[in-house]
Amino acid sequence: MKNILTIARREFHAYFGSPVAYIAIAVYLVLLGVTFFFKIPFLLPKDGFFEAKEATLRPMFEWSIFLFTIFLPAISMRLLAEERKMGTLEILLTLPVTDTEVVLGKWLGAVGFLAVAVALTLAYPILVVALGKPDVGPLVGGYFGVLLVGASYLAVGLLASSWTNSQITAFIAAIVICSFFTFVDRVPEALGIHAVEAFQVMSFNHHFRSIARGVIDTRDLVFFASVILGAITLAGHSLESRKWR
Amino acid sequence: MIEVEKLTKDYGPIRALDGVSFEVRKGEIVGFLGPNGAGKTTCMKIITGFLSATSGTARIGGQDVVEHGVEVRRRVGYLPENAPLYPDMTTREYLSFVGALRGIPPDALPDRVRHVAETVGVADRLEQEIGTLSKGYRQRVGLAQAMIHDPEILILDEPTSGLDPNQIVEIRALIREIGRDRTVILSTHNLPEVTATCNRLIIIHRGRIAADGTPDQIQAVHGGGNAYLVEVLPAKDIRPEDVFRGLQYVEKVAALDRPDTDALAFRVEARGEADVRADLFQACARGGLTLVGLRRDRADLETIFQRITLQ
Repeated sequence: MKNILTIARREFHAYFGSPVAYIAIAVYLVLLGVTFFFKIPFLLPKDGFFEAKEATLRPMFEWSIFLFTIFLPAISMRLLAEERKMGTLEILLTLPVTDTEVVLGKWLGAVGFLAVAVALTLAYPILVVALGKPDVGPLVGGYFGVLLVGASYLAVGLLASSWTNSQITAFIAAIVICSFFTFVDRVPEALGIHAVEAFQVMSFNHHFRSIARGVIDTRDLVFFASVILGAITLAGHSLESRKWR
Repeated sequence: MIEVEKLTKDYGPIRALDGVSFEVRKGEIVGFLGPNGAGKTTCMKIITGFLSATSGTARIGGQDVVEHGVEVRRRVGYLPENAPLYPDMTTREYLSFVGALRGIPPDALPDRVRHVAETVGVADRLEQEIGTLSKGYRQRVGLAQAMIHDPEILILDEPTSGLDPNQIVEIRALIREIGRDRTVILSTHNLPEVTATCNRLIIIHRGRIAADGTPDQIQAVHGGGNAYLVEVLPAKDIRPEDVFRGLQYVEKVAALDRPDTDALAFRVEARGEADVRADLFQACARGGLTLVGLRRDRADLETIFQRITLQ
């Protein structure tokens, strides 16, 4: 456990030592701000926050998740790919730590970064509480869900990063996987298929909405937990496979 | 201390290591010597547990490096080729990070970092980012991270590659110094390095061990037998060949053409392994020959190395 935290701390600090992280956070916050307040014809047909006159953060959460499919792969892409490319992985993995500790530590460091990014959006709930009387359940549930989705994306991104020593490849692979499993619940609608449930079960969006209603359902927790643990375990295996190549 | 048995490693169709076996005793400084791609790095990566062998075993202190990976790695300090370090960290941050993962207690860590930094000579670069350090300093930081936990065994992959001649001399001296009470394996394709730092040398060629022993032993075995170059002054009525041939341990005598000197030069081959220089000196004296030159005639390491690796 101590080793995991040591590695996580290093990853966390590494983010704030590089401009990429600041740019990513800035872009995320700006895009979130734009979509929160403004209505953009065709692109964003929904009403902006003030026009909608609703004390809810739902649109913001949904946009967060959409932005996360690009923003978080950019954060997770370096986790293992960069170490592979630079050779630093060799020192890290020949220290008395297990491969599992390495992948868990790296994921946790990235989740710490995500938590900072999400904490920077707390101005919005403050605004909502100041202007109206929102339901606390969906607010808390929404944040919880956003963090769970983000943590899952990061686990998937870590897995993608373990496959290659090219950060760009890891980035694109993570975007593809994350967006697929986010928007897969719209497939039946688009294709006119009836097997809605089958597609919903594996959709991040679906499970997020369920949590964002403010109701914590074990099924949703199990879903996120299995995605996170599954992806991290696979990333550990993928690290270990270096030995046999 | 380190026992390697029949290690074989295939990368796809390419066999990088082919049945390598050797043993390293406590306190030895062993140099892996071989051309690029000979298998030195692969062998080190297997001993440190970064890679697994296709077959064969490696043990450190009796423990298998695969089964007891974490325990074994605790006892070993490893510096991979080119000292891959995190460029965004300062020397202090980096050494503290490695030290923490090496299990050094937090309250002992700052002292320990300072101590190794002083040992390798980077104490004045502790607050500098590693990415801005010169190659020589990076290599030192690499050495520092390998020995931060005071390991019994150090494994150093080309510790002096890419350094300038002055830095090379310094790093070698450093390795000799820290190797006094440790077991060290270092790899190099540079021959003077081995003679300057190691007391044993293992020549690896095409994944196999081609020679193993002290420089002396290797010269004796691969250096062309037990032969001597003898120079004597010409003397009336005495044929030096006859003097040498009269000795029971002499196998063959050949006169050499040496236009650069007045002396007569001979190559004398002796039977067996024993050094017969003292005998030759006395034989000359008894036979009335004035001995002006006497040395063993054997290929130097460089020639041996080339002979082995150009095959």
